[in-house]
Amino acid sequence: MFTFIKIAIRNIIRNKKRSLITISAVGFGLGALIFIWAFVEGAHKQMIENYTSYLTSHILIHRKGYQQKNNLETYIEIPRNILSFLQQRPEIAAFAPRVKAEGLLSSAESSSGVLIFGIDPLQETKVSTLSKRIKQGRFLTPDSHDNIIIGEALAKNLNVGLGDKVVIMSQALDGSIAAGAFRIQGLLDTGVEEIDKGVVLLLLPDSQELFVMNDKISEIAIRLKSVEKAKSVAKKLSRALPASELEILPWQTISPMMQQWIEFDNAFIWIIVIVVMIVVAIGILNTVLMGVLERTREFGILLALGTHHKQIVAMVAWESVFLGIIGSLWGLALGVSLSSYFGKVGIDLSLFTSALNSFYMDAFIYPVIHMGYISVSVALVLFTSILVSIYPAWHAAHLKPVDAIRTI
Amino acid sequence: MALIETKNLKKVYTIGKNIRAEALRGINLQITEGEFTAIAGPSGSGKSSLLNIIGALDTPTEGLILHDGQDVSQKTPKQLASFRLRHIGFVFQAYNLINTLTALENVEYIMLLQGVSWHTRQKRSKEILKRVGLNDYIHRFPNEMSGGQQQRVAVARAMAAEPRIILADEPTANLDSKTAQELLNLMLELNDEKKITFVFSTHDSLIMERAKRLVILKDGVIVS
Repeated sequence: MFTFIKIAIRNIIRNKKRSLITISAVGFGLGALIFIWAFVEGAHKQMIENYTSYLTSHILIHRKGYQQKNNLETYIEIPRNILSFLQQRPEIAAFAPRVKAEGLLSSAESSSGVLIFGIDPLQETKVSTLSKRIKQGRFLTPDSHDNIIIGEALAKNLNVGLGDKVVIMSQALDGSIAAGAFRIQGLLDTGVEEIDKGVVLLLLPDSQELFVMNDKISEIAIRLKSVEKAKSVAKKLSRALPASELEILPWQTISPMMQQWIEFDNAFIWIIVIVVMIVVAIGILNTVLMGVLERTREFGILLALGTHHKQIVAMVAWESVFLGIIGSLWGLALGVSLSSYFGKVGIDLSLFTSALNSFYMDAFIYPVIHMGYISVSVALVLFTSILVSIYPAWHAAHLKPVDAIRTI
Repeated sequence: MALIETKNLKKVYTIGKNIRAEALRGINLQITEGEFTAIAGPSGSGKSSLLNIIGALDTPTEGLILHDGQDVSQKTPKQLASFRLRHIGFVFQAYNLINTLTALENVEYIMLLQGVSWHTRQKRSKEILKRVGLNDYIHRFPNEMSGGQQQRVAVARAMAAEPRIILADEPTANLDSKTAQELLNLMLELNDEKKITFVFSTHDSLIMERAKRLVILKDGVIVS
């Protein structure tokens, strides 16, 4: 076998230019694939991070049926025991209780339907990054009674600004009209339209008073140490907490749309993978087939001397595999270097900020290197290089020695 | 028993759809062990076709080709490959060495296919190359050697398999007369020393004179 490997290597060296072009094509293909995959992974990570760090969180705990009814009546009555249980879980980084209700926010000039969140600012800043998205004013503090935070776009629609008074109207838990005047303490700018135009934040006690909820809450938002574990931790919590009373949902279930975006992106990546593999296949096939056709006479001699078909196949296949391996190493170095560099400095896409914000992405995307897709990419390139060697190898092995030797 | 025997051997090539070219028209030939036979004749007389069939590189259209009394014309390509590997050494007109292997590796190649161990291969290859006068050229690639040196490597390669018969298709055609004589001397020495049977085609009159047996072909039949 060593001699056949030696012949394969020397054949690659024999036609340096052609081999280099093929290795470059394979390398650039694989490098581009790794970089694109790293970019998409980075974008997904940012999407999930931003999406879950605004209002969704990694896991939400509601009373059973909240996901369908989505109303004040589906509250969690005595959360103290749940909160102390959550404190003991090692996977959980932080959690925050919330009141959540729909209502109408009115200024002197206009009004708009909003989603009202009653929050504990100290806890909320541990599960969400909304406090970092304040463009004007400041975020809520425990003493910000009767103050609220709204989106900058909503303020513009209502023609109000910092310090102005607005009125929240809704229906309280007891069926009465919930109405209260609040002063705008801060303006949010997340870039996400549904938040900037439709969310109001106020203190948890203020919201409980407004909606006559006493110490009841609507949900508990949980931030995990690792977002990847959202599904498994949600399952664990479902087993540990009273499942008949609570629904404990990971972000993927709360927002299937985000999950679908990511799945669509992943499907799109596979189209890129197929295109790259076709380029790799054509590159290697061209080199190996040309090499085989040029060496028809040599294969004739090898066959005449008594070389078996399978040995000829192995010789040609090794040539193809070596081109694949060298190309893969070069592509791996290229892809990983590019991804690492841009993983640190980021890729500036500020020209498309508004479009990116709609998808919960920032102006800078940071590619993420992941062994999983790197292994898949390299394995695919090597598999392709073996696959495309089948025809040239078969052709070489089935030459008629007496005819092949006569070939000039 | 003859080492090689052909019985009414015919070879017809079909060119295009309808054109039939009869290369051999019923050859009956016996070659015994240790012969040094030249097959001569003008171009197109059927010399190469006859050598190809004797060497199991090609199969006859009709007739039998017997090696040690066994018909090899009905063997499969795989069986023919094994047969060539074990029984026949080839020397081609254009040397036909493997360009990516050194002289030593070219000689070693056949033994590698035969499953001979590395140490034995190395030892025997070096001995054979020394025997053909290429002791100082063992690590050279074919393109680093002259035509005569390459043809000597080809003879060494043919010998490496320790065949009973070496077939050479116009082995001196690409060599100058001095080198051709040297190669012929080498082949005659090997024929005497090792009792290897040599059958070669040629149209060189000097070579024909030194052959121990001369078979002349014309238009696909033996004329003398």
